[in-house]
Amino acid sequence: MRISKDEVIYTAKLAKLCLTDEEAEKLAGELDAILADMGAMETIDMEDAGNDTEAGMPRGVIRPDENVVFGDRDKLFVNTKSMRGTFIQVPKVIE
Amino acid sequence: MSFETIIGLEIHAELNTKSKIFCGCSTEFASEPNANTCPVCLAYPGTLPVLNERVVDLAVKAGLALNCKINHVSKFDRKNYFYPDLPKAYQISQFDLPICTDGAVEFECAGRHVRVRINRIHIEEDAGKLVHMEDEPYTLVDYNRAGIPLIEIVTEPDMRSPLEAVTFLRILKSILEYGEISDCRMEQGSLRCDANISIRPVGQKEFNTKVELKNINSFRELQKALEKEEKRQVELYRFDEGHKIVQETRRWDSAKGRTISMRTKEEAQDYRYFPDSDLVPVVIDEPAVAEIKNSLPELPMEKYRRFTEEYKLSADDADILTGDRYLSEFFEDTVREGAAPKAAANWVLGDMLRMLNESGIPSREIPVEPIRLCRLISMVEAGKISNTAGKEVFKEMFTSGGTPEEIVEKKGLAQISSEDALLEMVKKVIEENPKSVSDYRNGKTKAMGYLVGQVMKASRGRANPAMVNELLMKELG
Amino acid sequence: MSSDFISAGRISRGVAGKSFSAVEITESHISKIKANDEKIGAFLTLCEEDALAQARAIDKKISEGRPVGKLAGVPVAIKDNICTDGIRTTCASKMLEDFIPPYNATVVEKLLEEDAVIIGKTNMDEFAMGSSTETSAFRITRNPHDASRVPGGSSGGSAAAVAAGMVPVSLGTDTGGSIRQPAAFCGVVGMKPTYGTVSRYGLIGLASSMDQIGPLTVSVEDCALVLEVIQGYDKKDSTSCCGEYDKDYLSGSTEGIRGMKICIPEDFFTESLDEETAFAINESIRRFEHLGAEIEKVSLSIDHSDILSAYNVLVCAEASSNLGRYDGICYGYRAKEYENTDELIEKSRSEAFGDEVKREIILGTYFLSSSNYDRYYSRAVKYRTALKRRFAEIFSRYDLILGPTAPVLPFRIGEWVNDPVKMNQMDMYTAPANLAGLPALSVPCGTSRAGLPIGLQLIGPHHGERAILQAAYAFEQDMHKEVI
Ligand SMILES: [Zn+2]
Repeated sequence: MRISKDEVIYTAKLAKLCLTDEEAEKLAGELDAILADMGAMETIDMEDAGNDTEAGMPRGVIRPDENVVFGDRDKLFVNTKSMRGTFIQVPKVIE
Repeated sequence: MSFETIIGLEIHAELNTKSKIFCGCSTEFASEPNANTCPVCLAYPGTLPVLNERVVDLAVKAGLALNCKINHVSKFDRKNYFYPDLPKAYQISQFDLPICTDGAVEFECAGRHVRVRINRIHIEEDAGKLVHMEDEPYTLVDYNRAGIPLIEIVTEPDMRSPLEAVTFLRILKSILEYGEISDCRMEQGSLRCDANISIRPVGQKEFNTKVELKNINSFRELQKALEKEEKRQVELYRFDEGHKIVQETRRWDSAKGRTISMRTKEEAQDYRYFPDSDLVPVVIDEPAVAEIKNSLPELPMEKYRRFTEEYKLSADDADILTGDRYLSEFFEDTVREGAAPKAAANWVLGDMLRMLNESGIPSREIPVEPIRLCRLISMVEAGKISNTAGKEVFKEMFTSGGTPEEIVEKKGLAQISSEDALLEMVKKVIEENPKSVSDYRNGKTKAMGYLVGQVMKASRGRANPAMVNELLMKELG
Repeated sequence: MSSDFISAGRISRGVAGKSFSAVEITESHISKIKANDEKIGAFLTLCEEDALAQARAIDKKISEGRPVGKLAGVPVAIKDNICTDGIRTTCASKMLEDFIPPYNATVVEKLLEEDAVIIGKTNMDEFAMGSSTETSAFRITRNPHDASRVPGGSSGGSAAAVAAGMVPVSLGTDTGGSIRQPAAFCGVVGMKPTYGTVSRYGLIGLASSMDQIGPLTVSVEDCALVLEVIQGYDKKDSTSCCGEYDKDYLSGSTEGIRGMKICIPEDFFTESLDEETAFAINESIRRFEHLGAEIEKVSLSIDHSDILSAYNVLVCAEASSNLGRYDGICYGYRAKEYENTDELIEKSRSEAFGDEVKREIILGTYFLSSSNYDRYYSRAVKYRTALKRRFAEIFSRYDLILGPTAPVLPFRIGEWVNDPVKMNQMDMYTAPANLAGLPALSVPCGTSRAGLPIGLQLIGPHHGERAILQAAYAFEQDMHKEVI
């Protein structure tokens, strides 16, 4: 077995997903199958990689230090479920 | 057994930019909640970061000022964790290829030559701010700070006492201010410091378990927090309970004056760092680095040397002045206006510093014009007003503004040097103080001082003391 | 069916030349969508009023004698992971069921600048994770050629909308084959441009290092036309290419394929390839030869299971991070009951993400976690680097690579949905181009005995769009000649 149910639960927790016991069980099976299928990865030759050389046009956008104000402030928070004034309100966060 | 304290610092400094690191939102402090936000810094689906070029320049500048090696290629990584102040659920930072590495700062502290090596400087973005509501089951989120550019400066564990740590931080702050790299407003959180501290028996080579202290926002608190933690650890070792020191993060509670455990190493997050493919590597070539190097202003150490040589200031005076960029600039501007360096230094380090401390006004906002202080100094030197009156004028200039001439005029502080006017006062004092007069005549020379004081009092400090002395002697024969 | 099709080129010429109005075109396409989409299920949102208002504005421009854009009056459907200002954009997920973007993706802005008419948003696999459009939280999309079969995915809605004649043009997104595979399944042209050619700003990210937006069209000519509109340097996308762009890919195309050196990778013709597909591709190779191409069979010496593994690791890893932002705080689904913020985040995510999305997020988190990082993520990155080099070598000797788009014919709805391993195989011929950032196109090359479409894939070197489009155009023209 490549991944246990406990590992699935731990990993899901890291990703802020909660799973029922059944879900975790089922997922462990599926993920195990996927990982088993990927077993081939272990044969990839790690030495022969070298640097990432990419052909083609130069990439890399950078911007000057200028202020751009997003105009439509009303639109910005239409999707927010709870606001107080211009604050976003969430349940108490315990530090 | 004697112990040695080992301290390393991690300093976050907000960079001096107009716009955020990956979007055009303003970095202004204290605007309305969420006013400085846009789809990018709110992590709206589909938005992408685009790097602010000034951020790179300032980070390189910091690296050069701290004698670092500048990496011509660096890259951005994602630090993944969930927290309501982090809209993307990852912070864009630099993990294994930071922009600057291997620097050093040297200074003298309590008789020891200290060399603090800089492990790295990397660029990252700030998170938003959570406002916790007392008595309410809510927390409010303000993303104005989310995406403000930061550099994190990580030192090696090269400091051996809380005082060395504070001294290093002071020097670092002045370097960042000189270079106009950061505002360093500690009170507003634009300069923040975490400290790693461990204790080991003198002579031991390897380090013992370290504890990380967070939430320190002033020099005084850094000193207090480190001293407190140093004491806690030393005591544990003394009582053979060193095992109780675990690798953990402790939060400094300034109100309670103690540290509180936040999390241990076991609970440490797995941040799953990996390269951010929404951004391309930062490439900076040698000519660009050279250009930034040329733009570096005079740094505190050089200025210190110059102040002692050029202005013949004492080591202490030069040290305090150059330790604060704004103070040193104010001093130098005053001298440039024509004031004598020694007098200008005395005023700046005396009355000015006291007024700044009393009022809580930061040195970058000195409310007095250098030229006005210069004129005030020359009025005192020329005897137009007394030294005491000068102090009063300065206080008025500092608190309410105005030119020294106006204030002298308004308050009637001009020194009285007219012999007629002074003689009148002298005569009156002699008349009203027969006891002192007879004491003086009976050889009690001390009585003279009292009589001069009375004349000064009657003139509300305006009388020319030398002339008063002379006139009194003459009158009393 | 073909009588229903009217190309984008013909529409824009007709609208600009007043042969018909933009409103007429828009109305006729809307009524076609209304009549057919109940059966097909290609659309998630139809923007009838906005589209008509836009069409009226274009007609007004024309009546006032003002110049109009290259896509004047052309109805375009947009995959629902591309942000449209004020128009619901869901990623076919419960998470974004009511999400209204406050801005337009750059591609949408570019379409509007050229007077295209945004007609609706198309169905897809949830967050583009899938190859059949079956993981959509909202509806199943059916293949217009056989309603019992899938249209492919993840851009299944976009492909089906074009194939059913509901729009002449749609936009899809392609991370591992999500434009080309549905194009092949639905018998339309679909192209994934070179990474960096089309701005990703406004594309809701799956795997940032591979995602690319591209057109799905009825013809190669339309494909070139749409690409010319949506491509270009964008200062909002750091990975955007800032060089000169070809503005007329099919100009001087009389030469066609003659003299082109085409590589046929033997690795693509293994036992996993469907027989009928293999037959159609081999027929097409002969056609290319006939058209004057120099064909050479070569082994790329790449292992498909390595490719798929590396691809999977990178997609899941990047997706796990890209999808962290859906926490129910600023936008998106928010759970109804929670005790604290941590629970709000966890419940919102757990309730709103579908199974496939959860599976990929957990896998990606697993690949990136400190104890697995080197074994999976580092290896995948190294593999990608090696693969890029291998392709660079191939393209130093050949103009194009030619092969099948998908290993199988369109399968039945429900047939594979519970077999993630098998579903992953779907990307075996398409994912290499994404890993290496190369341009690739799928063009129809025949049908199976049962009448199911088969797609042929052309892969080019970096910025080799011109060679790909010219070859595909010549091939398509030759195919049509025969039909007529
Ligand atoms: Zn912003």
